[in-house]
Amino acid sequence: MANKPKIRELLDESGCAHNKTKTSGCNATVPGATTGGCAFEGAQISLFPYADAAHLVHGPMTCVGASWETRLTRTSWPGRDLTQMGFTTGISINDVVFGGEEKLRASIDYIVEHYAPQAVFVYSTCVTAMIGDDIDAVCRQAQQDHGIPMVPVHAPGFVGSKNLGSRLAGEAVLTNLIGTLEPEVTTPFDINLIGEYNVTGDMWQYTPLLEELGIRVLSTLSGDGRVASIRTAHRAKLNVLVCAKSLISMPRKMQEQYGIPYVSVSFYGKRDTSAGILAIAEALGNADLIGRTRQLIAREEARLEQQLIPYKEIFRGKKAVLNTGGNKSWSIASALQDLGIEVVATSVKKATEVDKEKARQYLGDKGVLMTNPGAQQAKIIDETGADLLLAGGRSLYTAIKKRIAFADVNQEKKKSYGGYAGLLNLAEDLKNALENPVFKNVARRAPWEK
Amino acid sequence: MGEVSHRTEKPLQVNPIRLSQPMGAVLAFLGVDRCMPLMHGGMGCTSFSKVFFTRHFCEPIAIQTTAVTDVTAILDGGDSSIVEAVQNITKKVTPSLIGLHTTGLTETKGDDIRGAAKQVNFPIVYVNTADYEGGMESGWGKTVKAIIEQLVEVRSEVRTDKVVLLPHVSMQPIEVEKLKDFIAMFGLEVVALPDLSTSLDGHLGEKQSTLSSGGVSVEEIFCLGDAGTVISIGASMQFSAEALLKKNPGMQHIHLDHVQGLAATDTLVEKLLAVTGAKLPPLGIVRWRKRLQDVMLDSHFALGQTRVMVAGEPDFIAGACQALSEVGARIGLALSTVDSPQLDSIEAARVMVGDLEDAEKLQAEYDLVIGNVHTETLAHRFGKALVLRGFPCWEVVGNQLKNDLLYEGGAYFLCEAANAAEAGRMNSHGAECRVLSAEG
Ligand code: SF4
Repeated sequence: MANKPKIRELLDESGCAHNKTKTSGCNATVPGATTGGCAFEGAQISLFPYADAAHLVHGPMTCVGASWETRLTRTSWPGRDLTQMGFTTGISINDVVFGGEEKLRASIDYIVEHYAPQAVFVYSTCVTAMIGDDIDAVCRQAQQDHGIPMVPVHAPGFVGSKNLGSRLAGEAVLTNLIGTLEPEVTTPFDINLIGEYNVTGDMWQYTPLLEELGIRVLSTLSGDGRVASIRTAHRAKLNVLVCAKSLISMPRKMQEQYGIPYVSVSFYGKRDTSAGILAIAEALGNADLIGRTRQLIAREEARLEQQLIPYKEIFRGKKAVLNTGGNKSWSIASALQDLGIEVVATSVKKATEVDKEKARQYLGDKGVLMTNPGAQQAKIIDETGADLLLAGGRSLYTAIKKRIAFADVNQEKKKSYGGYAGLLNLAEDLKNALENPVFKNVARRAPWEK
Repeated sequence: MGEVSHRTEKPLQVNPIRLSQPMGAVLAFLGVDRCMPLMHGGMGCTSFSKVFFTRHFCEPIAIQTTAVTDVTAILDGGDSSIVEAVQNITKKVTPSLIGLHTTGLTETKGDDIRGAAKQVNFPIVYVNTADYEGGMESGWGKTVKAIIEQLVEVRSEVRTDKVVLLPHVSMQPIEVEKLKDFIAMFGLEVVALPDLSTSLDGHLGEKQSTLSSGGVSVEEIFCLGDAGTVISIGASMQFSAEALLKKNPGMQHIHLDHVQGLAATDTLVEKLLAVTGAKLPPLGIVRWRKRLQDVMLDSHFALGQTRVMVAGEPDFIAGACQALSEVGARIGLALSTVDSPQLDSIEAARVMVGDLEDAEKLQAEYDLVIGNVHTETLAHRFGKALVLRGFPCWEVVGNQLKNDLLYEGGAYFLCEAANAAEAGRMNSHGAECRVLSAEG
């Protein structure tokens, strides 16, 4: 199948920091000692935000039955938000024995007839990959018959991790969509946002600022995305990779194929947001634009600082321990520092080498990089006199035992912490956590324990 | 009795409510103390299941995967990844039991998990739970049956005061506890298998997500064979009860399709009285029966004018529909995740196996929705009242403390449903008034 991307090649992707130390790329999975999602989940994360396309999962119930309507990616698409729907062929024993291609085709037809999507993404999963259903052929035929893009996504779970799946998803978009349509107009400041999924509306915290500067978001992969726009992505002047190393192969290939340069940015916290916006302007290389961008950043930062005054009052002298994963180990640390909170430790368990370096930069020499936070965090809280633990729900008990405030880092899945305005959301949540007496009240001894 | 359709005619599922067998297996194993559920398949199934239950229960969830890859899928018959997984798990923790179960991938490969389990030198229970057949309810049922077959010792003597309770998958932790307490009030000793009431009930404590904490112990499971009575709740638990009866011919079996509403609870009480030979149930139970009667009268006005859609696993919808029907609510649609013999006994205008797209098409048939978190969008879109029940209920707290069973829970359930129906009417009435005044 010509359409199937070469997985080896993607694993050897230079943008993946794992590769410096491990020969197996990001694909290492150990029976009985593996956590994290599969390639299909990675593909789902990367592509489901296209709300104008249907996402049909060709497989048994676990793949999408347990995972549809889970991520709060927001869209301005006026039609029905297909991201928040679950479509699956839900194959049965019969399909396993006789093949599921016919069912897949009938499902595509059903979706086109009832939901009129702009495209259909068809995801293979472990079982349908195993039985050898030719989803490329089904998609090709269906595309011919219906006249809309049908995109086969070859990221069955068993090929590897979420990261690899995201890359495979990018590959599918690159092969099947990008360059298949010309934009109606182009501007010198057209950009693509890659790896921004607009979870909780994160992207809308900064896109109005880009617009104000005259920078046009031509297309996205895939936050608030449209199929018609991503098809024109090859005409952009710049690719902006947002906080997503997993998709690094995509802008690199687009540079080779279409000569589009790229920058890599993050929009967490004040410093990163400013640096990100400036990096975009500088990469677009227009002196006037850069000047205006500096003005806008100065204005926004001043406004933010004004709004942060009452919070900084509360946060003065406060210390936090951060136990989260991946790039959050430094991106949230940076945001906390922007709020005037001292980050005394952060977790680098599962972080890439690049993430570790960045964490070190942000925390300075005194900061502790925890490699085994579960065991370390309680002791570090004692030693540093930390006031706040930011972590996943699992660590709540540590905070209660230590009688300090706790904030669930996963709240960012419900509320945007992105951009300048998102920092205010974060500040408000942390203020509430620090002021909440619940942690001390819960920790009260029972009368029979006295 | 209305129309019953046991299978769907569509080629696909749109907004599915069906959940997979391996997920039911995971949950059943989590009701065993210090157990490590081990899913034999790609790592994604495990990850999805973990996140799914963590969000439903707001609790850490213990689970591991054999992490089958496209390479091992072809080279390995399953044994080596299973053996390696057990080795890696037991390097770090010492579970009391490994709960090995399959997925669609490893069933398609045709892995011999029984053979693999034999090679493992560790307490293990294995069960085949392909996710291309059955659903969460059958996965749970199959697992309980496998636990009984593989662990319970054969006995010939019976202890007449000992009861084994086999709850179905949709019973939330507090419901298992309430039912255990109810039976215990009759002077009986009761062991539940699985027992989520002590593992996923949401108690504060030092929890590691590496193993389940709480639940029925493996030692207790070994000795279930001397119980005088086994009580199975839900059609999905029939097979498990039959498996247990094989361990001791002297054991008697009480089966109830559910324990929701007045009549079903009365039946349970009758049977328990017969077991103990007592004439009257304990006073607390008598009191709760009167309260339920009172609530039935108080809620009949609201619910008697309400048409309901109940969506979920068959054993759950059978119980909820019965409780609502007893006060005159009309079940417009009973929407089941999978097929079950239960469906034929549900009193509803329409009973069907389907998805939420089907529910959407039939939205003119009901005013109140009882279902999982995915029904929320539907309820909002069409302005329906909503009571959240079933798996999953994300973004709401307290799922594990929702009690709809027996006299007591039945009373709470009717109150909640009646209030929701009434609030729904107020809202739509309010909307009409606003439209009228805007027009005027
Ligand atoms: S590992 Fe395979 S079967 Fe499991 S969820 Fe991922 S794609 Fe589906």
